[in-house]
Amino acid sequence: MLMLGYSSAVVIFCTGLYTIMARRNLFKTVIGLSLMEASVLLVIVTSGFIPGGVPPIAPFRGVAVNPLPHAFTLTAIVIGASDIALALAFIVKLNKHYGTADIDKIRGLRG
Amino acid sequence: MSLVLAVVTPLLCAFLIPVFHLVWKTLPVCLVGVMGLASLAASLAAACTGWVSPAASLLGGWPPDLGIVLVADRLAAPFMLLTSMGVATSLVCSLEKYGGGPWRYYAIFFLLAASMNGILLTADLFNLFVFYEIFSVAAYLLVASSMSWQAMEAGLKYLVLGTMGALFFLLGTAFIFMATGILNMALLPEALSVVPRETLTVISTCLVLGLALKTGAFPVHFWLPDAHSSAQTPVSALLSGALVKVSVYALTRISCLFFLSNGGGVFRVITIMGVLSILGGHLMAFRQDDIKRLLAFSTVAQIGYILVGVGCASAAGIAAAVFHAINHMLMKMGLFITSGDICERVGTRSIRAIKDTAGVLPANVAIFTVFALAIVGVPPLNGFMSKWFIMLFSVTDTGLCPALAIAAGTIISAAYYYGVVSALVGSVVRRNTGSPGNNDLDSPTVSASSVITGTFAVLCLLAGLAALWPPMQSSFLSIGETAVDIEGYARLVLGK
Repeated sequence: MLMLGYSSAVVIFCTGLYTIMARRNLFKTVIGLSLMEASVLLVIVTSGFIPGGVPPIAPFRGVAVNPLPHAFTLTAIVIGASDIALALAFIVKLNKHYGTADIDKIRGLRG
Repeated sequence: MSLVLAVVTPLLCAFLIPVFHLVWKTLPVCLVGVMGLASLAASLAAACTGWVSPAASLLGGWPPDLGIVLVADRLAAPFMLLTSMGVATSLVCSLEKYGGGPWRYYAIFFLLAASMNGILLTADLFNLFVFYEIFSVAAYLLVASSMSWQAMEAGLKYLVLGTMGALFFLLGTAFIFMATGILNMALLPEALSVVPRETLTVISTCLVLGLALKTGAFPVHFWLPDAHSSAQTPVSALLSGALVKVSVYALTRISCLFFLSNGGGVFRVITIMGVLSILGGHLMAFRQDDIKRLLAFSTVAQIGYILVGVGCASAAGIAAAVFHAINHMLMKMGLFITSGDICERVGTRSIRAIKDTAGVLPANVAIFTVFALAIVGVPPLNGFMSKWFIMLFSVTDTGLCPALAIAAGTIISAAYYYGVVSALVGSVVRRNTGSPGNNDLDSPTVSASSVITGTFAVLCLLAGLAALWPPMQSSFLSIGETAVDIEGYARLVLGK
């Protein structure tokens, strides 16, 4: 279970990084960012998992999973959402100006 | 208590501005000024606390190993002084330029000030990430705040690379949490010493790559020239003067605390990045015709000098790096503000075009020349002193290569700054000898920004002379000693 979580996180992270590097469409760049973020969050959530653990709510029945990574994840989700929203706002504005979301056709983003 | 205020005061200002906007459509300039003074006072109080009697304050009454701790010590204090001076200068310039109109701009501005203080003070790794993201989002918005399409492109580029950096940093933080189960920066050095070497390599790669992306060091510097050159003048000055120094602080703090005693070649990587930044930044700056882009590439190179100093991994090297960070703030803010003023008068940013126009103020050119001489490194000025010290300590600590790069970089920078200064001086000469029709530009009004840049020019000279004064040298050395004193930091945070 843990191995599955970590290995899928690695695959998703690499997919996201590749998407940002290789794709020329700005919306795909944002999708790549979002994928990278999701994979990092997956790593954090998985790190709090204990096989056979119970939810960390007051009367513990057995070993509780670590709630701290969940708090981190919630914070990081909020931060990531604001990043993505801002990126999309920029892209919408640029798209209105240039009529395209292709990196090669937007002068300042080339290279 | 004063440490919390340093974060809370600007944050409160940032949230009060939209409320005040409901009352006044255009904010009164004095109101924003008072807010700026309040946050400046809070930051300076924290800086003084850190310098005179280093202190830690626990948030929410939690013990230091569980809760978040804010710490001000002798490494954070000079950076705090630097950023608060940068923020105040940039605020004065923006108020002079835009008045109280753009309330969104000021709200983001104070948010940025609060998050910078947060990064400098926090002793919790995840908290550092959160402050870093507030800082970054505010910076993306400020870059794009002129809403021109160049600024928007630069903001988007900054956002994509900055977010990638943040994700690498978060990944490193996650690995640290998995390996040790703690995020307190004072407890981590000991906990990381039992972590396997391979794990430590992965952690250090993630953290250093993330912070390098945020700093704008050479191999990953792509966003910096665009962002710094397409923003408005006060924002460019703030970005080059203060923002990159905050990232440098985070890099110094984290690499000293986690990897100084645990090894892992982090400091060698920082030195290599520094050397590449020096050479690459100067060579790229040499090819620019746009004056603001030239200054932005020069910033990349100057970050390289600071990184070489940090890469020494010794108290003396880090002290020299901090000295250069302060000097670079003075010089680069001055250069950006004066050149922004000149470009606005002339109506172009191309160096070749400035050469052919008259109408540049002689006072501006004189001040610009002082800053250019300082940043190239002409002996009595501060740029020479800090470069000299970095060169001296890097020879003893990291070998000859960085010192040679610094020397080569100085020659290249002398070449391109000479080009700019000669264009400006030529333009002044042409005006004084040439057509009398341009006399309407001769309005010798004293603006606040020219007073500030004049003061900075005097400070450049004073800082250069002060570096020769032994008490000053020993107090700078104490900054470096604080940076490498891991036990001292643990004692301070944990209150033992």
